[in-house]
Amino acid sequence: MDFNLTTEEQLIQKVAKEYSETVIAPLAEQIHATNDVPEEVFQGMRELGFFGINAPEEFGGGGGNYLSFLLAIYELSKSSAGVGMIMSVNNFCHCLIAALGDDEQKATYLPKIIAGEEIASFAFTEASTGSDPKQLTCLATLDGDDYVLNGSKRFITNASFPGPMILVAKEESTGRATAFIIDKFAEGYSLSEPWEKIGVHGGPLYDVYFKDFRVPAKNIMGGLGGGMLILKAAMVYAKVGVCGISLGVATAAYEEALAFAKDKTHRGEPIVKKFEHIRFTLIEMEMKLLAAKWAVYHYAWSLDNNSDLFQLAKEAAMAKAAVTEAGVDIVNQAMSIIGSYGVVTDYKISRLWGDIIIGPQVEGSASTLKAMAASILLM
Amino acid sequence: MNYVVAMKQVPDLQQLRIRDKKPVLTDIPLEFGKIDKNALECAVSLKEACGGEVIIAAVGSGELTETIKDGLACGADRATMIADDGVDALQSADVAVLLVRLIKELDDVGLIFFAEGSADNYSGQVGSRVAQLLGYPQVGFACDVRMEGDRAVVTRALEGSFEEVEVDLPAVVIVASDLNKPRLPTVIQILKAGKKPQEVTDLAAVGHEASELTVCVENLAPDTDRKKQELAGSTELLAVLKENGIIDK
Repeated sequence: MDFNLTTEEQLIQKVAKEYSETVIAPLAEQIHATNDVPEEVFQGMRELGFFGINAPEEFGGGGGNYLSFLLAIYELSKSSAGVGMIMSVNNFCHCLIAALGDDEQKATYLPKIIAGEEIASFAFTEASTGSDPKQLTCLATLDGDDYVLNGSKRFITNASFPGPMILVAKEESTGRATAFIIDKFAEGYSLSEPWEKIGVHGGPLYDVYFKDFRVPAKNIMGGLGGGMLILKAAMVYAKVGVCGISLGVATAAYEEALAFAKDKTHRGEPIVKKFEHIRFTLIEMEMKLLAAKWAVYHYAWSLDNNSDLFQLAKEAAMAKAAVTEAGVDIVNQAMSIIGSYGVVTDYKISRLWGDIIIGPQVEGSASTLKAMAASILLM
Repeated sequence: MNYVVAMKQVPDLQQLRIRDKKPVLTDIPLEFGKIDKNALECAVSLKEACGGEVIIAAVGSGELTETIKDGLACGADRATMIADDGVDALQSADVAVLLVRLIKELDDVGLIFFAEGSADNYSGQVGSRVAQLLGYPQVGFACDVRMEGDRAVVTRALEGSFEEVEVDLPAVVIVASDLNKPRLPTVIQILKAGKKPQEVTDLAAVGHEASELTVCVENLAPDTDRKKQELAGSTELLAVLKENGIIDK
């Protein structure tokens, strides 16, 4: 068993780390305060090819593996979870189109989102359902060669950026969940005000409204009634990005706590030297980081080496639940070391706490994912 | 005309651990030094402006065949190298001889770039030795290089002034760290680096006998203990900070 990263994986991680530390980190507080990622950050990410690391070369991607993508999003998220979230959603959308789109859909949509010229979204959740396709109310009605969409979608990341959206709606004649690739901002598309999240700022979250929104029938992805397949595939591809974000935020919190413990003194001696419980807490954090890291590395490896969608979905669910919950534990422990300084917004740890607490709740809550993984256990 | 960049793999100093005042080099990843990257960036910029090829010439341990991908990702077109674990015991004089052997095999060499020193032992000898062995002119402390016809114009950063010199080709240029800011390689450049041409040989094939001109007696890390000074107030703090060069004098 070889735990070493390849030279290419190490180099991609190194470049992402340098970009994160030199370009994103100085803007991180601004991104957090304004809930907006400056264009210069996107421009650099486009130039370096971060949007298409694991995308097919024939559409302009790097042709790299999921682990390379994971390493990059981890490094970027150490500085800004919001930047990571934008990249994560765009990434799993191009993975979905590359895996399940037809040739025309691939040629139409992949080059721009792989290049980062457009940013993709995924829309399943509605006010009344987060993961259950039978409760969808957004309706797609056939009218000539088009479908007409009416309804709304909730908590949609990247909805304010131009580009495609993979949307799952109820097809009226069959009543079955069906996925469409739509162009955001076409006539009949409108947005709510952005939701005010407690963390992951910069990754904008909106409700999206569709009123007599027309989409060609040829834009159905995965076939009529194939929405469940798309949802399952999204489940498989999407979690690696969220895991990378949580791992990045948790690592940043660990580094903050370690630096604080070395710097903060008690009667002239750094608290990391003076108090055993501080060292004990730091090691516990590192143990959890180590376990989370290998869980998500293996999940990323599986995406490149295994093909059973059910087993991949199970591993994705387990990894996402494990890593995001471990992330919350780690940041809470960092808070316990930093103490009262952690609850004032002058200190970075407060931002990291807001970022990490979101992890277990989004893209399938931890309890939903455990239920999904458990259902596959008996298959 | 082609540009050669001599690059040396060194331990990643950010991951270096100090134990008993000595650097622990075990399991530390290798990389190219920062000033080597400046030299490479300079050559790549000249190639983009004037054409030609950028070729990395390197002598290092067996891991060089992997480390070289970093240089190839950063814009070099190909590489020629001696990759052999026996290289770690060699001295600057030996490395210069080996680099000359590699460079002599290359066609149409115009400029040969070196960093002013390597990130590990910083002897700063190899560039000058290569120039001497090849009989080429050398220009040091280069902070800007441009081509004018069949000559290179090099700006040298001296203490408190700059000097501009013209040099006939082929020539050796030894660059300073403030020459440029190397671009980060793109993901696609990284993933395609391993597919670029590489000529690899080893010490047995070149039949080199090591010299023993100098002996490294000890390699110690500087002490970095806290000063633990007690200060009476902000005025004294400012004075101490100025005295230690931490804020402007």
